[in-house]
Amino acid sequence: MRRVSKITSRFLRRFWRGLREWCGDSAYEHYLRSTSAKSSGSRPLTAEEFYVERLDRHYSRPNRCC
Amino acid sequence: MKRLLTIVIWVAVALLGAGALCAIALNRGEPLNAMWFVLAAVCSYAVAYRVYSAFLAARLLVLDETRATPAERRDDGRDFVPTNKWVLFGHHFAAIAGPGPLVGPTLAAQFGYLPGTLWLIAGAALAGCVQDFIILFCSMRRDGKSLGEMAREEVSRRGGFLAQLAVLAIMVILLGVVALVIVNALKSSPWATFTLAMTIPIALLLGVYLRFVRPGRVLEASLIGVALILFVVVAGQWVAESPAWAKVFTLGGLSLASALIVYAFAASALPVWLLLAPRDYLSAFIKAGAVFCLAAGILLVRPHVLMPPLTRFVDGTGPVFAGKIFPFCFITIACGAISGFHSLISSGTTPKMILHESHARFIGYGAMLLESFVGVMAMVAACAMPPGVYFAINSPASIVGGTPEAAATTISSWGFPLAAGTMTDLAHKVGELTLLNRAGGAPSLAVGMAQIFSNTIGGDRLLSIWYHFAIMFEALFILTVLDAGTRVGRFMIQELGGRVWKPFGRTSWMPGILISSAIIVAMWGYFLYQGVVDPLGGINSLWPLFGISNQLLAAVALVVATTVLLKMGRLRWIWVTLVPTAWLVTVTMAASYQKIFDPNPRIGFLSLANAMAAQIAAGKIPAEKLVETQRIIFNQRLDAGVTAALALMVIVLIVEALVQWYSILSRRREPVLHESPYVATRWAPDFSGAAHGDD
Repeated sequence: MRRVSKITSRFLRRFWRGLREWCGDSAYEHYLRSTSAKSSGSRPLTAEEFYVERLDRHYSRPNRCC
Repeated sequence: MKRLLTIVIWVAVALLGAGALCAIALNRGEPLNAMWFVLAAVCSYAVAYRVYSAFLAARLLVLDETRATPAERRDDGRDFVPTNKWVLFGHHFAAIAGPGPLVGPTLAAQFGYLPGTLWLIAGAALAGCVQDFIILFCSMRRDGKSLGEMAREEVSRRGGFLAQLAVLAIMVILLGVVALVIVNALKSSPWATFTLAMTIPIALLLGVYLRFVRPGRVLEASLIGVALILFVVVAGQWVAESPAWAKVFTLGGLSLASALIVYAFAASALPVWLLLAPRDYLSAFIKAGAVFCLAAGILLVRPHVLMPPLTRFVDGTGPVFAGKIFPFCFITIACGAISGFHSLISSGTTPKMILHESHARFIGYGAMLLESFVGVMAMVAACAMPPGVYFAINSPASIVGGTPEAAATTISSWGFPLAAGTMTDLAHKVGELTLLNRAGGAPSLAVGMAQIFSNTIGGDRLLSIWYHFAIMFEALFILTVLDAGTRVGRFMIQELGGRVWKPFGRTSWMPGILISSAIIVAMWGYFLYQGVVDPLGGINSLWPLFGISNQLLAAVALVVATTVLLKMGRLRWIWVTLVPTAWLVTVTMAASYQKIFDPNPRIGFLSLANAMAAQIAAGKIPAEKLVETQRIIFNQRLDAGVTAALALMVIVLIVEALVQWYSILSRRREPVLHESPYVATRWAPDFSGAAHGDD
C-alpha cells in the first residue's frame, strides 16, 4: 500500500512538473538557472520582462500549424 | 525467452492490426463499429513506430547519443532550453495539430470512409512522420535552422529563396481557407458567434493578468480562462434565445469575413502579450481537452459508422468538392497524412529544445502519428452520422437546393435517404437556425462530435451545448492559427521588404508594422472574400488550393531531406524520402493540372471562368449580376495563376535539387554538409529513446 502511494505521489509530482513546463509556467525559473542569466554581466531580466521578451520571440516564427 | 515473448507480442499486434484493416476494407453492407478503426489505426501506428521509425533512427539517420544537442550546447534559457521528452512531445503536438486533421478527413468522407482512412494511416506512417522526423533531425544537427535556411545551404541559394516564397504563399492560402471555415461555421448562428466573440475580451483579461498581476503564471490564468469560456458556451444559448441580442450576433458571410480581417490585423499589430499569446494558451488547453474527450467519447460510445466504404462520388461528381478520388482524396487530406507546414515547426522551436538526439524519433515520428489518429477520429465522427445528414450539411445550395425539402429530395435521389424534417429537427436540437449548406467541415464535425458526446453525457438534452462546445473548440483554434499566422506572415513581409528598403525590415518600427500587417491581411482577406462570394461555396475551390500548396511544401521539405541524406552517403536507403517525394509530386502536379485545365467547370478554374465569360457574351447574365460575375471570372483566373505559380516554383526547386544530386552521385563535387561540428555530450546518454533499434 505504501509502495502504491509512493509511486502515485511520484507520478503526480512528475506530471505537475511536466504540466508547468509544458505551459511555460516554469520558463522563468529555468532562465534564472541558465548560463545566459548568470553570465550576461548586467542584471538578469525580471519575471515580467522575461515573459514579454519570450512571447515576442516565440510568436515571430511559425509556431502554430494548420 | 524474453526476446521470444517480445517477438510473439509484436506479431500479435501486427496480426490484430492487419485483421482490423481487412475488416474495414472488406466490409460491405453492415454498419461497422468504430472500434475497428481505432484498432486498425493504433496497431498500425504501433508497428510503424516500433519497426520503421527504429530503422530510420538506427540505420538511416544514425542518431548519436554521445553527441550534444543544440539545447545542451547553447542552453540560454530562452530559445535553447533542454526539455523533457514528454513535455516537448506535448509542445510539438500542440504546435502541429490544428484544424487541418479535423476538416480534411471530414470533407474527404464524401468518397466513403475507406480511402481517407487508409491514406491517413499509410500516409502518416510512410510519408508524414518520415518528413517530420527527418526535418527535425536535420534542423537539430544545424542548431535549429529553418527549412528555408537549410534549403539555401544544402540545395542552392535560389532553392532557399523559392522555399521562403512558397512558405509565404501557403501561409496566405492557409489563412484564407481556415478563415472561410470559421465564416461558414458561424454564419447566421448567434450562439456560436457570441461565444467566439467573447473569447476576445477573455483573452484580453488574461493578457493583462499575465503581464501585470501574476507575470508568466500561465497555468492558473489558463484555468480561469477555460472556466470563463465554458461559461460563455452556455451563455450563448441565452443570447440566441433573446430576440434583441440574437439580432446583434446574427451575421452574414461578408460581415463575419470583415470582422475576422479586422481582428487579425489588430492581433498582428498589437503587442503579443495582450491578445495573441493568451488566446493561444486557451486554445492549447481546450485543444488538448477536446481531443482527449473525443477519443474517450469514441471508446465509450463505440458508434457505428453509417457511411459506406466507398460512395458513388469517387467518380469526381462529389457535392462537397468536385474531383476524382485520385488525386483529390490525397490533396483534401493533407494534415493528418502529410503536411508540409509541419516542416516549419520541425525546423522551428522544437529542435532547439531536444535533450538527447534519440528523442527526435519519439517527438518527430510519434507526434505525427498522434495527429494522424486525430484525423482518423474526425473521419469516424463524420461517418458516424447518417450519410444523408452529412451531405445536407456539407453540400452548397447551388447543388442540393436551398430549402430542406429540395435538399432532402436531391440527397435521397443519390441513394442516401433523408426525410425533409430531419435537418430542421436536427438544427433545432443543436440550437441553430439551419444546418443546411454549411460546407467547410466544422459544422458536420461538430454534429458528429456532439452526437458522440451526448451519447456519453446528457443525451439529446445536452446536444446543443455539446454542438456549440465543439464549434467553439474548432473556431477557437482556427482563430489562433489566423492571428499567429498573420503575425508570422507580417514578419515574412517585413523581412522581404527590408531587402528593398532597410527601415521596413525593423520589426519595432510602427509604420512598418501597420503596413506589413495590412498587406498580409489584404492578401488572405482577398481569398476569404472570394470564398464567401463564390457561388459554389468557396470550399470547393479553396480547400484543394490549400491542399496543393501544403503538399507542395511537403515535397520541398522532402527534396531538402533527400539532398541531405545523399550528402550523408545514404544512397542505399534513399527510397525512404524519394518514394514519398515522387508520390507527392505526382499527386500535386496531377491535381494542379486538373484544377487549372479540367474541362469540367466545377473542377477547372479556367473552364469555369470561360463558361461564365461565354454566358456574359451570350447575354445570359442580367445586368445587375454583371459586375459580380466578372469578379468571379477574375477570381477563377487568379486561382489558376496562383496554382500554376506554386507548381512552377516547386518544379524549379526540384530541378535545382536534381542538379545537386547529379553532381553528388557523379562525384563531380565533394558533398559539403552544413552540420554543426560534433561536440560530445556531458550528460548521461538516454538509451530509452532507442536510437539503437534494440528497444
